[in-house]
Amino acid sequence: MHNLAIVERDYTKIYEKFTLLGRNIKNGLGAHGNPYQCGDYYDMMLNNPDHTQKIDGEIFPSIKEDVEAVEAVLHLSTLTNGELSVRAYENAEKRTGLELKDLSEGSKDVKLTYKDLQAQPRRYNNSPLWSGLMNDGRAYSAYTYNTERLVPWRTLTGRQHFYLDHEGYIKFGEHLPTYKPSPKPEVYGELRKTVVEGDARVLNVLTPHGKWHIHSTYGDTLRMLTLSRGTEPCWLSEADAEEMGIKDNDYVEVHNDNGVYCTRACVSARIPKGVCIVYHSPERTYQLAKSQVRGGRRGGGHNSLTRVHLKPNLLVGGYGQFTYHFNYWGPVGVNRDTHVVVQKMSKVVIDEH
Amino acid sequence: MVFHLDKCIGCHTCSIACKNIWTDRKGAEYMWWNNVETKPGTGYPTKWEDQEIYKGGWEKKGKSVDLIGAGKVKGMARIFHNPNLPVMDNYYEPWTYKYSYLFDAPEGDDQPVARTISLVTGEPIDVKAGPNWDDDLSGSIDYARQDTNMETLTEAEKQTMFQLERMVMFYLPRICNHCLNPSCVASCPSGAIYKRGEDGIVLINQKRCRAWRMCVTACPYKKSYYNWNTGKSEKCILCYPRAETGQAPACMHTCVGRIRYLGVMLYDADRIEEVASCDTSDLVERQLGIYLDPFDPAVIAAAKKNGIADSTIDSAQASPVYKFVKKWGIALPLHPEFRTIPNLFYVPPLLPTMASANGELYDSTTDSLWGKPEETRLPLKYLASLFTAGDTEKIKEVLRKLQAVRLHRRDVTVGDLDKKEAKEAMKSSNIDGETADAIFRLTSLVKFDERFVIPAAHREEAIEMIENTADTKGDTGFGFLNEPKRGL
Repeated sequence: MHNLAIVERDYTKIYEKFTLLGRNIKNGLGAHGNPYQCGDYYDMMLNNPDHTQKIDGEIFPSIKEDVEAVEAVLHLSTLTNGELSVRAYENAEKRTGLELKDLSEGSKDVKLTYKDLQAQPRRYNNSPLWSGLMNDGRAYSAYTYNTERLVPWRTLTGRQHFYLDHEGYIKFGEHLPTYKPSPKPEVYGELRKTVVEGDARVLNVLTPHGKWHIHSTYGDTLRMLTLSRGTEPCWLSEADAEEMGIKDNDYVEVHNDNGVYCTRACVSARIPKGVCIVYHSPERTYQLAKSQVRGGRRGGGHNSLTRVHLKPNLLVGGYGQFTYHFNYWGPVGVNRDTHVVVQKMSKVVIDEH
Repeated sequence: MVFHLDKCIGCHTCSIACKNIWTDRKGAEYMWWNNVETKPGTGYPTKWEDQEIYKGGWEKKGKSVDLIGAGKVKGMARIFHNPNLPVMDNYYEPWTYKYSYLFDAPEGDDQPVARTISLVTGEPIDVKAGPNWDDDLSGSIDYARQDTNMETLTEAEKQTMFQLERMVMFYLPRICNHCLNPSCVASCPSGAIYKRGEDGIVLINQKRCRAWRMCVTACPYKKSYYNWNTGKSEKCILCYPRAETGQAPACMHTCVGRIRYLGVMLYDADRIEEVASCDTSDLVERQLGIYLDPFDPAVIAAAKKNGIADSTIDSAQASPVYKFVKKWGIALPLHPEFRTIPNLFYVPPLLPTMASANGELYDSTTDSLWGKPEETRLPLKYLASLFTAGDTEKIKEVLRKLQAVRLHRRDVTVGDLDKKEAKEAMKSSNIDGETADAIFRLTSLVKFDERFVIPAAHREEAIEMIENTADTKGDTGFGFLNEPKRGL
């Protein structure tokens, strides 16, 4: 065990911590080994009495209102505050021994505020926290910072890795990205209690990003539901649908041991045989039929069919680029691929009303 | 307007923009003045291209044309019962959800859900169709496989189109074509529809419309819609209130893929009848012939004599539409065989066709960067049915040009090709490096002001044609108070 520290927290001040900006900002900000000093910019925020809060006699910048939070981000980010971008590049020069400061020269005076962004779209600054170069109106393209300015990649060797020289990865056979066949339904073990009756078939279910709803509820608006099928259907191949006696727009149950999703079928030549697709992620608020295989209870959404299969090699860490960082590296749930039973519903009940 | 189909990603942002501005009203819920269709597919209203069903457009009759399903005699005979009118099921029954039930539902073991209710009757309905029901080949058995444009294909060709390995689809955005020979205008028993002199926008005067709905039948593109609430017909107005203030139509302005180009085309109105009534095989060429060269001194002199403003002539010379349609010949009208001389043009999709295969199986390992246009995934006959009234040679010619541009640019930017290949492609499609660069530039690089080139509206002239401006201000529906000179 190493590098553990005791942190004391005052849990009576949780609300204040959410609504104001603490003193730790004065130590500087940064990410991916690119720190920059911003204490003076933090102090500037204390000068505006309209957007500060006084707690126990001490003044803090307020981020209670949405606009305050936005302004705080714009004020303290290298992307929207040119001076901070310059500082970050100065630090990057020190760490890499390369000349990089010229990347921020043209944007030193840039200082974007919420009002600026409301008025029109604006280009943001170059920043070493991101890997694309955007000088002179160039479109962002990842890793141009590394390839053109020769800044090492953030890996153990400073180069791009295809081969992962780590005993954990070697043991799992994951040290090279090579083809591995999808496990059989039995391996997943998610159809142990599920009965396959009549025309029902076992299919591989995939839950990719939908056309109009990637991590948003945009696809659930009336407008977009009108431009699709009024619900999030289960896409089936023409061949599978025929075998199961399912016609386009019929109600189907998609289920396994984990859960059930009741929806309409969308039969398409675009889908390969043996596969069905439910695009993620529908809300459970409209037009879902009640489940027959679950005794007339309401089914779930597409996530009801999957569970977390933790990929063990993602647990290795503390080593070069495998070091944990929030939202960048760490164990994730590999839960987008499983098997289900699909069958036509004989009696469709939406609700009693 | 030109639509570059290789650039359309089928996001429907155009449809949303149009819907939010113009048809978010009672009686207009089902109308999509702008819609985007997946091809192959049957579109909206379903099978709209099939004039055996809908009887839209014109048919050739001697040296002129006759409306297929409307007009003076036929229209009068069917004025109280028109069998060729699309009904709600051909479009779809607009719906919403009973959202209040999510709050009002009695306490129970299950989470309540909002069910679909009709926006027409307010009663619960089972949704069976929508304005984009066959999106991305949804329900391919019932829709994509029933596409009218596949009638010319053999059974084997049809089957091949739906093999997973060879399958292809593309998007077709549609608005009113603002035709030169508009069948809606000709069919209206009330004389309510007119084509504006100043910019060619086709409008329905909401004051004069008497709901005979002959325009709905007559428009072969099914872009005239009947509003059951107001009892008037409505259609795309090309956002003329925006155009008059120098703004692009909402559909174009919001286009994510930047596929749309809008510009001025000068044309010879005296030739409309002979072009509309020419042989089917000549339709595309003859239509392109009606648009005049804005650099020709004779054309300029004639335009000035007819009171066309200098700024309009300037815009015609800078028109991106003129370049695509006339100068380069790579944009084609949609269903020219309807004989309405439509003013929307489409650059046919190249990418899905060229990634094609030899033999039975999909195989991308061709010797050259692309296969020949003949080896398309989409049969040429299919594209020809859409854009050239069946002329596959014309489609091939356009695809070759588009291919030559890519080969040339590949040679310029990457340089990994056999130089001879690019040169030969350019030579056989009759374009030089300069033209290929210009096509590339207008396709990929230009900013909004080069895609949208229209002159000031010259309302100071148009307004003189309106008898009393104060009377029409604030009305719904605009137009001339003078009755158009026409009649039985």
